[in-house]
Amino acid sequence: MHREVFALLYNDNKELPPLLPTDTGKAYKQTKAKLGMRKVRKWVWAPFTNPARKDNAVFHHWKRVSDESKEYPFAQFNKLVSIPSYSESEYNQYLKSEDWSQAETDHLMDLCQRFDLRFIVIHDRWDRAAFRDRSVEDLKERYYGICATLSKVKTNPWSNSVTMVNGEKRTYHYDAEHERKRKEQLRRLFDRTQEQIDEEQMLLTELKKIEARKRERERKTQDLQKLISRADSGSTPLVQATNNEGSATPANVAANIARRHDRKIHKKKLTSQQRPIRAVETVTVEWSGIKFPEARGTGVWLRSQRMKLPPGVGQRKTKAIEQELRLMNIDVAPMPTEAICKGFNELRSDLALVLDLKNALDSCEYELQALRHQYEALNPGKTLTIPSSICSTHTDNEAKPAVGEIIDVVGSPSALNATI
Amino acid sequence: MSGPNGMLYGGDEIGALVFDPGHHSLRVGYAQEDTPKADIPAVIGVGPATHIPEPEEKVPDGNITQSGSKAGNELRHYIDVTELHVPRPHMEIQSYMKDGQVDNWDLFERMLDYCYSKVIRSPSEHHPALFTEAVWTTRPAREKLAELLFEKYQAPAFFLVKSAVLAAFANGKSTALVVDAGASQTSAVPVVDGYALVSAAARSPLGGDHLAMQAKHMLANMHIQMLPIYSIQSKEVIRERERGRYTLKTLPAGLTHSWQQYMLKRQYEDFCHCIAQISESPYDERTAASVPGVHYEFPGGYHQDFGPERFKLTECLFEQTLGAAHLVCAAAGACDADARPALWGSVVACGGLANTGGWVERLAKELAARAPSSHRLKSHAAPNAIERRFAAWIGGSILASIGSFQQMWISSQEYDEGGKGQLERKCP
Repeated sequence: MHREVFALLYNDNKELPPLLPTDTGKAYKQTKAKLGMRKVRKWVWAPFTNPARKDNAVFHHWKRVSDESKEYPFAQFNKLVSIPSYSESEYNQYLKSEDWSQAETDHLMDLCQRFDLRFIVIHDRWDRAAFRDRSVEDLKERYYGICATLSKVKTNPWSNSVTMVNGEKRTYHYDAEHERKRKEQLRRLFDRTQEQIDEEQMLLTELKKIEARKRERERKTQDLQKLISRADSGSTPLVQATNNEGSATPANVAANIARRHDRKIHKKKLTSQQRPIRAVETVTVEWSGIKFPEARGTGVWLRSQRMKLPPGVGQRKTKAIEQELRLMNIDVAPMPTEAICKGFNELRSDLALVLDLKNALDSCEYELQALRHQYEALNPGKTLTIPSSICSTHTDNEAKPAVGEIIDVVGSPSALNATI
Repeated sequence: MSGPNGMLYGGDEIGALVFDPGHHSLRVGYAQEDTPKADIPAVIGVGPATHIPEPEEKVPDGNITQSGSKAGNELRHYIDVTELHVPRPHMEIQSYMKDGQVDNWDLFERMLDYCYSKVIRSPSEHHPALFTEAVWTTRPAREKLAELLFEKYQAPAFFLVKSAVLAAFANGKSTALVVDAGASQTSAVPVVDGYALVSAAARSPLGGDHLAMQAKHMLANMHIQMLPIYSIQSKEVIRERERGRYTLKTLPAGLTHSWQQYMLKRQYEDFCHCIAQISESPYDERTAASVPGVHYEFPGGYHQDFGPERFKLTECLFEQTLGAAHLVCAAAGACDADARPALWGSVVACGGLANTGGWVERLAKELAARAPSSHRLKSHAAPNAIERRFAAWIGGSILASIGSFQQMWISSQEYDEGGKGQLERKCP
């Protein structure tokens, strides 16, 4: 036999057999297995009475001799719902109803006791031969009405309808009308056909779509306002250059950037959706470029911490800023003296703004060209001449100029041509 | 009983018996056991006492209860398969059940006698008895049963529970919509908090017997003869679809029609057991043909494969207006709207017919198509065929061995004081 096959046979015990005899205990000497510490206790087939029974019937079961004197343990589970009771005179005095006869009320109370207030079962077992058919709500209304009335006139509070709050009795009121309405609604909900359900589903998805679109539009306008106010409150003399007709186009484009950066939705869809342009009110937002947080909590901290870009700035933006810094031959991490810190942060903030605006310009350009092509495609033979005042193709040269000039460019494209 | 409070898993066994009378068989056994002690066909052979003993019948007539010992009117009652399936002249087959409840009380008494003396082998006055009943059992029938148990059998205690409730208990639920596919009928009964909703119960006569009848028709149409197995002396091995070659046994004269029909019915049932299969979707010739056939050999030796017939046969069980799915919808629809979500959430299938291959799957599929989509539908069936078939008995076994149930029995003292009128109150 191969060794491997042999190993398969005896692999249940992975260890090798011990070399020395280890059986030092008295395992073989002990004659009787010792399973527990105590002696076995005897069981007897004995009669018992159940205190939960009213008739003292005697049944037999197995029990321990030691348990002989104990009460039947399952009797403790014999819990009963307390149902109010009334005498005939009480009924006549307080509980008379036009709708309910006393016999019917008695029947209801009897069923409540028998079925522990399970009203669905009570309704099922209702004696329809003797009394007219009633809904579950009718039964509940009558029962809780009786509870409320009796708890007012009697001292004994019924546990299920009255609670004591600050020594004062509070009665639960059963609103049968509301319950009926609820049940009717429930019934209608359950009785819907498949077509109705499908239609509802369809409408719900439509609603979701509409809401998503609405949110999108709102976000767009917000982005736009942010950008405008940034440009407005910027440290550059941009404000004078902004004219009225120009405000629509950057708005459009700014939204475009935001979308392209954040969501990457298809461009086609975007351009088609952007057509309706809202008039934008100038909202002053105290924000420009990157906002560096001032307060840094308590304790000692390094000044270089101040130059750290806040987490809100995206990775791509950070990269782009660094790239710009390198082009300007500025160290990415300069010595953080007080003045450098301030200047560096301001510079980067402006750079961020510049990049945003440059992107906006790019998109503007793109859209303009696209529109031109569209126009030419629709009107063959004609060419759309774009006035040079709004056409700019010198985007590659813009990297170098000072920050202020670039911002100027976007505000009024004619200024660009003038500066270069 | 043990444990710190004397309660071991909430159970307390007091030697109770559980009886589950059905149309096909009567199940009897001790509470706290997982399967009944005996499953006895629910028919009794009644024949004259002076019969000619069969040569092979050597067993002393231990299973035969003698009655009417006066000369001239002597009748013997033959109970259980070992006695019942022997060809005897002039032995008529009679059933004591009708429409889900006991109808012939004399015969039922014989059956109970047999249970106590031959199955339990212990005097009836030692054992409380729990009976199951159909939801629609009439009040006289219930009271008659209580009377019989207390007055004739001196039972120390008695209780009656609706079988649907017990089937729900057997599946570990107190609220369920129980679909019971039995021999004589299929029913759907909503159970809420352990109480069956009587007025919402729905039933149809499509049961195992109906399936056996369908099998009979089908075989007749296919010109296949179902010979009674007791009439075959010997048979030869033949090729498939070849004409059977067999020799017939010499049978005693005067075999009754009812007995022959009963024996044939057993064979059709066997046939259904072997080949009946329910397709998951309504019958379709092509999909049915793609399933491999099942081989069946008839008593005469003839044998063949059954392919699409297997599915065609069972299609009657899922008819539009009488099928189980329709019953479930009707029963759920008749319930209060507040109870419906819970009921749809636990549809429990049980009964012998539910063991037919694919029955549970088909029901689940049909329900998914019919149930209102606002409810979460969940259908449940015991994984084991025994548990499905004996669901009501097992539920009774569980119930009768629960410690807190022991206060609910109607004791003989209570019966002596209150009479049978209290049955309606005590056994809801």
